Amino acid sequence: MRISRRAAVAAVVLATVLPLSACGGGSGADSTDASGKVEGEITFQTWNLQANFKDYFNGVIADFEKKYPGTEVKWVDRPGEGYADKISADAAGGTLPDVVNVSPDLVAPLAEAGIALDLDKAASKYREEYLPEAWASHQVPGAEGTFAFPWYLNTGPMFYNKRLLEKAGLDPAKPPATYDEVFAAGLKLAGASGGKVAALANVPTIEDFGRYGGALMNDEGTGFAFNDAKGIELLTKYKELYDAKALDPQALTATPESSGHKFLTESVAMNPGSALDLANFKKQAPGLYKNIGITDQVSNTGKANMYVMGVMVNAQSKRKPASVAFAHYVTDATRQMEFAKQVAIFPSTAGSLDDPYFTEEDGTDETRVRVAAAKSLKTAVNYTPVLFSEQMKTELRNQIAKALQGKQSPKVALDNAVKACDRLLQQS
Amino acid sequence: MKTPVTPSTATRPTADGVPGPRSRPAASGPGAPGGSRPGRRISRHLPLSPWLFAAPGLLVVGAFSLYPFFSTLVNAFTDRRTLVPGTFVGLDNFQELLHDEMFWIGLRNSTLYVLGVVPALVILPLLLAMLVQRQIPGITFFRSAFYTPVVASIVVVGLIWVWMLDDRGLINSLLEAVGVGKVGFLSDQWLLLMSAMTVTVWKGLGYYMIIYLAALANVPRELHEAAAVDGAGAVRRFLTVTVPAVRSTMVLVAALASVSAFKVFSEVYLMAGPSGGPAGEDTTLVMLVQRVGTGLTGRVGYASAISVVIFVVTVGLMLLVLRADRKEDA
Repeated sequence: MRISRRAAVAAVVLATVLPLSACGGGSGADSTDASGKVEGEITFQTWNLQANFKDYFNGVIADFEKKYPGTEVKWVDRPGEGYADKISADAAGGTLPDVVNVSPDLVAPLAEAGIALDLDKAASKYREEYLPEAWASHQVPGAEGTFAFPWYLNTGPMFYNKRLLEKAGLDPAKPPATYDEVFAAGLKLAGASGGKVAALANVPTIEDFGRYGGALMNDEGTGFAFNDAKGIELLTKYKELYDAKALDPQALTATPESSGHKFLTESVAMNPGSALDLANFKKQAPGLYKNIGITDQVSNTGKANMYVMGVMVNAQSKRKPASVAFAHYVTDATRQMEFAKQVAIFPSTAGSLDDPYFTEEDGTDETRVRVAAAKSLKTAVNYTPVLFSEQMKTELRNQIAKALQGKQSPKVALDNAVKACDRLLQQS
Repeated sequence: MKTPVTPSTATRPTADGVPGPRSRPAASGPGAPGGSRPGRRISRHLPLSPWLFAAPGLLVVGAFSLYPFFSTLVNAFTDRRTLVPGTFVGLDNFQELLHDEMFWIGLRNSTLYVLGVVPALVILPLLLAMLVQRQIPGITFFRSAFYTPVVASIVVVGLIWVWMLDDRGLINSLLEAVGVGKVGFLSDQWLLLMSAMTVTVWKGLGYYMIIYLAALANVPRELHEAAAVDGAGAVRRFLTVTVPAVRSTMVLVAALASVSAFKVFSEVYLMAGPSGGPAGEDTTLVMLVQRVGTGLTGRVGYASAISVVIFVVTVGLMLLVLRADRKEDA
């Protein structure tokens, strides 16, 4: 069968022009006005929470719909793996749900693209209900406003293997608290075990540079600065650990899962974790559990790192009053407190951490970890810059790996990492 | 079996082979004589019918193959990001590629993957197919066993190999037991790449074995018997009878294996981690596309430029293999 020339030309033109059409347009920021009647159907997206907390969220949604007759909340949950990709596909396709569970690094590009609603304008009346640091955690340098309600906080203790420490001649009652103490202990552990037991399973992350006391970004938030003297010193110490096998040889390719596995198999003696890990240790390694010690995060600044979750409202939502009302409802003090009793997380609402639930121990490990974490959260800092993207994490990690392998000096590695991250920052 | 042809639609050739008068389109229009006859109506709608039958398939191909392909091609010349519409930047992305260290690492690793994996996947499945072609008791079990890795999930396969190759895994424990000591299969950049190649070969053996089995079934037994009578040994018979007989299949396998090896992602991603091994030294080109182009800050334009390079190299590989085959034929 012959295809007419006109049809062929039309097909080629369409095939060329259609993709071009995808380059045009752009969402642009919609109105930040969220006043009006709370009504209509909205969609709420969470991040890997349905499997374990289905009843809790169904209860929250039912209570909200009862409080605001005429509203209907459709709940969707996405798996943890590929969550950022799912959000980016939805955002690019204009199908992002009305209310979305985000972390600060996810909200930054959405805010820059005008997709995240500015809550300083749309919901400023709720601001006082939250801890000031938590509210500020979803602010983006270079963009005016706050782009998500702070939700739950978390911080992790350092878990350590008491038996391995004791075997290396260290006092399990006095675990390392600062980086210098960790480095000294690491060399002892590796030496005593002939290189079979390492202190740590991971290369340093941006949070480590923060807790070591170095600068992460310049004051204007326009460039990275972790290649300062402190940063170089930290990486030099890690290099010494790596050479002495006090840093696990597979640390260069480690993931949080693989380093957790190393800790469970007693290849490494120390592993940062969260309050959630304690239950896993009990279940997966009951033999190891009795040897596990729990201490504060290693820090030279005296401040722990804090992880913040947020709830963002889609600026393009057609039901902004209902979306803002629901995002606030999920993150208010009552709901956060209820959620904290379901799982080891901590509320970001003002005064909640003074509740006896977070201040009184009952002699169990669980309450001990909970009380210690809640205490450290009062002074904790979110050391991860909101503009630090996944690609920047990879750049930093790769440059650190080169330094540890001896392919370049710590200074050159960090200079290169800063240069690459600054380039990515300018391109965003 | 021939399809019966109805007289109303048949083209009746004349003596010299030229289509006869009945092959001409029927006159159309209400006034045309005989226009209401069913046979003529079918004839009038014939030109559109194939398109209607093909439409669902064409739509799927258009939406899921052609559109993304042309979209990638166009994006490669823009600075498009995930959430930011792009502007035309000419060849900037391709110029940046030339100075991107990670691109050259990716190109090196993908090329090494082709060089390491393709010869093994052309030869080993052929030997395996010859082995399981024999009709001996229990051979069906072995055929199924060799094919099992093909149907197994690559994620599961990858994790199993990671456990085996870990510092404290099965293989290192065995090596330590025999006094060799630990080998850094998952921490040395070259060993990691070779480990991933091993998994690719192991997983692909069964698939290509099936293709070879079909080809071997068409090799006349008489040729082997004649060669044996002439005194040819097993190796000689393999080289002079089997290989020439399945040569076109070997070319097909080489082409398929080259393309999939150059586009390798899962095995390396699972074994070397998302960062692509120590310092990203095991990153392949497809991994780089995923790293650069996805996420909320993904550089879609730049990732598209890398994809265009992958496409060009892949087509080049196919042409190279086909050209080599044609030369052999000549």
